[in-house]
Amino acid sequence: MPERVKTDMGGATAALDCDAELMLRVKEGDGASFGLLLEKHRSPVVHFLYRMVQNHAVAEELAQEVFLRVYRSRSSYEPTAKFTTWLFRIATHLALNSLRDGKNERLQERLDNDSSDLPARQVSDSRPSVEQKMVYRVRLEEVRQAVAALPEKQRAAVLMHKYEELEYAQIARVLRCSESAVKSLLFRAYETLRARLAHMA
Amino acid sequence: MKCPIETAENAELLLAYCARKLDAESTAIIERHMEICPACREFSSGQRAVWEALAAWEAAPVTPDFDRRLYQRIDREVSWWNLLVRPFRPALLRQGVPILAAACLVVMAGVIMEHPASAPPAAQPQSAQVETIQPDQVEPALDAMHMLGEFSYRVRGDAADSKM
Repeated sequence: MPERVKTDMGGATAALDCDAELMLRVKEGDGASFGLLLEKHRSPVVHFLYRMVQNHAVAEELAQEVFLRVYRSRSSYEPTAKFTTWLFRIATHLALNSLRDGKNERLQERLDNDSSDLPARQVSDSRPSVEQKMVYRVRLEEVRQAVAALPEKQRAAVLMHKYEELEYAQIARVLRCSESAVKSLLFRAYETLRARLAHMA
Repeated sequence: MKCPIETAENAELLLAYCARKLDAESTAIIERHMEICPACREFSSGQRAVWEALAAWEAAPVTPDFDRRLYQRIDREVSWWNLLVRPFRPALLRQGVPILAAACLVVMAGVIMEHPASAPPAAQPQSAQVETIQPDQVEPALDAMHMLGEFSYRVRGDAADSKM
């Protein structure tokens, strides 16, 4: 690995991931590398934002803003952390702002009846019956409501932990708190979710 | 081992166990503990239910025109910047040096006007502003005045003779 992609992170020298290397190429004017980053992280970012704001249109709009900010920041990019940490910090910041501004509230009414947000689910080899579809929808709605009821930071922590499989240290950097604070956030969040969803076992 | 629910460090282990992210050795330790700990068994079954319920929540796929819209926005930003810079670009390319020099001069003039380089002159003693005449200069000055007076008298006298 080239020397330039090694950086000092709080005193310890860490070799950077290939995403950071791609971003450094974007910094040097390589548009194709930006395309590769977009291809790799488009879905995780959109899905994370969707689960945060629970509205597909708003999530895509926010994801566009995330990648636009990544592109705009290319000239000042310094690989001081994992690329995904930086990416999800931008995404979380935008999602929290959107939730606080209540931008997605006007679209929230459509959410309840918006079947386009629900992916086609293959329950078994054969086509799911109407009853199975109904059960799936009810359970999904319960999960969505349980996640939406979590405080914003707990929600972000759970989504990054469960779906994006980020490490505690990464989540801590995204949320600008200590690792022990993240563990505490997650523990409390899962406790709440267990109380609401344990009956689904 | 200590009960995972009672210690924060081990709670992390229990969460990882429920997410099936533990290695075989740690999994075996947790499972041995759960055989004798109903609280951890309950925690584990509840957490697994949460994990599976969350796993069932699939997000809708990203719309196919996501990239196209993003690149359009990027192009719009780039072209907007180009539009701003365009009027100045030919001048910058052809007359870059004179423009730069003129800009430097303007900046320097501004700096000089703002902060005059020369220090204010030191106040002169008041006596220096009054012209003083030394005693030895008085005699030649009187002589010169006398000569001027005589010259003036003679000139007037010549003029009167010529009229007569």
